[in-house]
Amino acid sequence: MKHLVLAVAALTAIVSTAAAQNRPAAADTIRMRQANYKQMGGAMHAITEQLRSDSPSIDAIRASSRTIVGHAANVLRWFPRGTGAEAAVPTRARPEIWSDHAGFTRAGAGLLVAARTLDAAARRGDFVAIRAAVPGVSRACSTCHDSYRAPQH
Amino acid sequence: MIEERVRVWDLPTRLFHWSLVLLVPALWATHEWHRLDLHILLGETMLGLILFRLIWGLIGSSTARFSGFVRGPGAVLRYLRAPRTAFGHNPIGALSVVAMLLVLAIQVGLGLFASDEDALDVGPLSHNISYDSARTLAERHETFFYILLGLIALHVAAILYYRFAKREDLVTPMVTGRREPTLPGEAMAPAPAWRFWVAAALAIAITLAIANFL
Repeated sequence: MKHLVLAVAALTAIVSTAAAQNRPAAADTIRMRQANYKQMGGAMHAITEQLRSDSPSIDAIRASSRTIVGHAANVLRWFPRGTGAEAAVPTRARPEIWSDHAGFTRAGAGLLVAARTLDAAARRGDFVAIRAAVPGVSRACSTCHDSYRAPQH
Repeated sequence: MIEERVRVWDLPTRLFHWSLVLLVPALWATHEWHRLDLHILLGETMLGLILFRLIWGLIGSSTARFSGFVRGPGAVLRYLRAPRTAFGHNPIGALSVVAMLLVLAIQVGLGLFASDEDALDVGPLSHNISYDSARTLAERHETFFYILLGLIALHVAAILYYRFAKREDLVTPMVTGRREPTLPGEAMAPAPAWRFWVAAALAIAITLAIANFL
């Protein structure tokens, strides 16, 4: 009997520790993806800044397109179950990310295609192609945000 | 004796005023509906209107000119001590016009440099500053709206006060452009039409330059 009580206590301790560890993990994931999206926003800003400048720097555009394509390849991995509204950190990730996973995956794939097109144009230094590719990335961002991100208010 | 109503506000001044009445709620609504593309377009329209009013304040009809109605603190205090009906803006009303134009100009100015978090819906000048600054200004743009809202509330309260406490109707003249003169022979000295076209062309040119080329 004493052994059983000890065993149950030990098991409870292990399970609750695991749960406690899981919670910060979800919070870290949310913070990580928010920071990454912020970098992508900053990269979009930097590209617009260059494209509207009189002497656009191809290096600055390349650095930004690399940031975007690098994150775009990973976005679908930033949303494990448990990182939605149930998490301890505020997130605007909508439940449709998990309930409509096929749609979300399609949106993520769309971003990667658009980001690769932009990055390829930036690496070639082809400003005409860069200008043509930027709206595609904007659209891919908006498509996903409209369906899978809750509005700010 | 019924005094004949004479012109007090010219058409451009009235159109400007009522455009604001339509535009401010439209700007609020497009933001609430997350239609920032429309919000930015309307904001640029607002920029053009403010520029027009500033130019019209220099070359417009007598009652629209800043030199005709903006008074120093002495005149404001004298008016507060002994209010008398003014034909155009009284010294306090003049303060309210200046405050409204200033607050609208600041709000539009913040919007010009603001960026949403994705850098997708951006004010036409936001590419000139850093992403972080553009985000900060976007937040200021949101909070500053409450200053504008407060000023509008004060403006409406003043109109109601004049209507019910002082029995003076300020709304009808802003619609018809006419009111009874306070002194015999008093009337607005209208600006010729060509000045309107000059002011409008200038305002549109500056707005387009800011929205597209800066």
